[in-house]
Amino acid sequence: MKNRKRMTVAVSLTLIVLFAFTFQAQAGETYKLGLSLAITGPTSDAGDPYSKGVEDYFNYVNDMKLLGDDKIDCTIRDDQYKTDVTKRNFEDFLDMGIVFYLNYSTGSTMALKKDFDEEKMPTIPASFHAGNLEGSTYIFLPIATYSAQAIGLAEYIVKNHKGDTPKVAMYIHPSAFGRGPVSDVEKAVAAGLKMEIVEVVEHGTDLDNTAMLQRLKSKGVQYIISQTIQSPVATMLKDASRLGLIAKTFGEKGKITFLGCHYTGGNDLVALAGPAAENFFWTTSYIVTSEPGPGTDFQLSLAKKYGRDEKTANSHNYINGAMVAQVASECILRAKKKGLKITKESLYEELLAMNGANEFKTVTTVGPVTYSKTDKQGVDTLQLYAVKNGEFKSVGKPFIPEYTGKIK
Amino acid sequence: MSTNRWLATGNYFTSYRDEQRIFFTHLDRTIFTFFLSLLFVWPLLFAVSNKYMLVIDNILIAIVAIIGLNIVTGFAGLISIGHAAFVGIGAYTVASFSRTLGDSHVIITHAWPLMIILSGLMGAIFGAIVGLPAMRLKHLYLAIATLSFQMIFSWTINFLEFFNQGQTIPVSRVFWFTGKLDRDEHYLFWYYVLLVVVVLSGFMVRNLLRTRYGRCLSAVRDNDRAADAMGMHPGLTKVYAFGLAGFFAGMAGALHAYVYRGAGFESFTLHHSITYLAMAIVGGLGTLNGSFWGPAAIITLELQVETLAEHAGQIFPSSWNLATALKPFSFGLVIVLFLMFEPRGIANWWRIVRSYTKLWPFRY
Repeated sequence: MKNRKRMTVAVSLTLIVLFAFTFQAQAGETYKLGLSLAITGPTSDAGDPYSKGVEDYFNYVNDMKLLGDDKIDCTIRDDQYKTDVTKRNFEDFLDMGIVFYLNYSTGSTMALKKDFDEEKMPTIPASFHAGNLEGSTYIFLPIATYSAQAIGLAEYIVKNHKGDTPKVAMYIHPSAFGRGPVSDVEKAVAAGLKMEIVEVVEHGTDLDNTAMLQRLKSKGVQYIISQTIQSPVATMLKDASRLGLIAKTFGEKGKITFLGCHYTGGNDLVALAGPAAENFFWTTSYIVTSEPGPGTDFQLSLAKKYGRDEKTANSHNYINGAMVAQVASECILRAKKKGLKITKESLYEELLAMNGANEFKTVTTVGPVTYSKTDKQGVDTLQLYAVKNGEFKSVGKPFIPEYTGKIK
Repeated sequence: MSTNRWLATGNYFTSYRDEQRIFFTHLDRTIFTFFLSLLFVWPLLFAVSNKYMLVIDNILIAIVAIIGLNIVTGFAGLISIGHAAFVGIGAYTVASFSRTLGDSHVIITHAWPLMIILSGLMGAIFGAIVGLPAMRLKHLYLAIATLSFQMIFSWTINFLEFFNQGQTIPVSRVFWFTGKLDRDEHYLFWYYVLLVVVVLSGFMVRNLLRTRYGRCLSAVRDNDRAADAMGMHPGLTKVYAFGLAGFFAGMAGALHAYVYRGAGFESFTLHHSITYLAMAIVGGLGTLNGSFWGPAAIITLELQVETLAEHAGQIFPSSWNLATALKPFSFGLVIVLFLMFEPRGIANWWRIVRSYTKLWPFRY
């Protein structure tokens, strides 16, 4: 009797163990990814929605079983825009055994460039600085570089300006992030782009730009291209509005037309600058929610599914984050379909193969994502937007700047 | 001197030489040796992740820097709010060689001990130059002079193309007898290097304080006119205090560049100078062991607040910006609380513990 009881216990325990292992095997694999970014501190107004975009898209992949039983586990860490903390986070992620890394700032991407190469870690940063790609093998930018964006805006100025050579000023962030495109725009001018760069202004934390605007006006500047974040642009636009300097139409004589790259625009700018944001021209590779379409529908439904507030749902940085998560998920999916083991090496190869017939089409960008050994810039296409009645509306068709190829 | 060389329940000094001893009893020496051995042995017994090893390395780097700050501000009483700039001088000395010769040049990768000393010397030169106004300036005016050095440093690094306009200048991994260090060895290797530097620096300063030059620092701090009347040279003392502080800061900077494998402007801002001051205050100004307590306490606090802020950010709406506010708030609060309730810093708690154990079982 006693033996029988023991036997029953042993058999049931064995069954439990077997069941547990079988269940585990059926549960699929978990792929670890890491994201370090500024959820708090400087630039967190962009970092916060970006992190939510990444988080929501990976949750969406897991919930919708886009990878079958396999799951993505992306650890998101706040680095407060400090490179030292990013470094620490990255070391932690490496110890966790990540197969794909998402980074954020220009400074930390440049600082960790060697680590990415040494670890052969495919990395997509939120920074579109062209310098990230110099001397790097494993960094892939999600969309066109800041340089391409600034050159795209410069080309638009040259094409649509009436009269003599347009006089342009650049208003930039006092860092590598801001300075990056200046030399490339200068190269484009040297290569034949007919415009004059009158002055490059590195902004500080000034709350009043009156003197700067008056100085630029006195020098005959008609266009200001901004490469910074939204708040200094909003301050400048408000001052320009107060001084009556904002052009009501593109290139209006005697006034200034304001233009900016990806991180200068979006709904946050409209919220910060109010009516002064009217007629601000902005370029990015993302589709914005003020333009109806499948991209907007997807963005809003994703945000709604995960209970995001309206501000986050409509942020271009939310979809910016979701898009890099899309690219990472797509790499995993493609490698899985080929029956490859999901490793950083196989995902790197998948990124390199993302071109031609294998380009990745996503509804949230204005062009396909393409990568190769010589092209580490994801979406090459840009869309120009302008604020009309408090909303960003498309201006013309998506385009690829001509001079980016000419200055290489 | 007590007849029992192991335990001395009180002070038995009969000469100045007795009072100047580094270890008062055999027990002190044994405990110190045991503790030091423990610091060398524990990483071999317990596997620590690279993340935490980096944190520990960071604490040790800060200790080297604070030893310097304590000389100038603690022992000599000269306020310096540009200490991060001196650390930056050290880091950018290594970075300049890296930029000029290439980051994998043998001088960078093989002659790294030389680079660390050279960086210290560069820090000392800049320290002595910045210390020159100290011959004429005091208190708030001197603080402004050191602040202006921080500003000049910021501008120079941020705008000069040679310094990559503040972007990180890479520094390659170094070589040891076993060959080029790989990622798994990197932080552990630098832990040992840092530990050696910290121990040597500690003994250096301890010995300095036993000499007339060390006593000059305290004399000038307490009353420079009286020190002058006693035959000391207050001006020279102030300049060499700044020079010495610059030397330790420069070494800390070089070590930072090697550990982080690069030098970028972000690590040497005014905010870092204030953080160094906070470390010195929390640790205990004018005490050697305060230089160890302060960095350990502040960096640990930062880590804990970071974790707390991360959790707070998940619970509370982001519009509250609670997570952003938490760090500066807790940092400020700790400094204020220490200034109000324990201006002598953690070092004083250590002193109380030591005197209690020394007198035990007697109360006095």
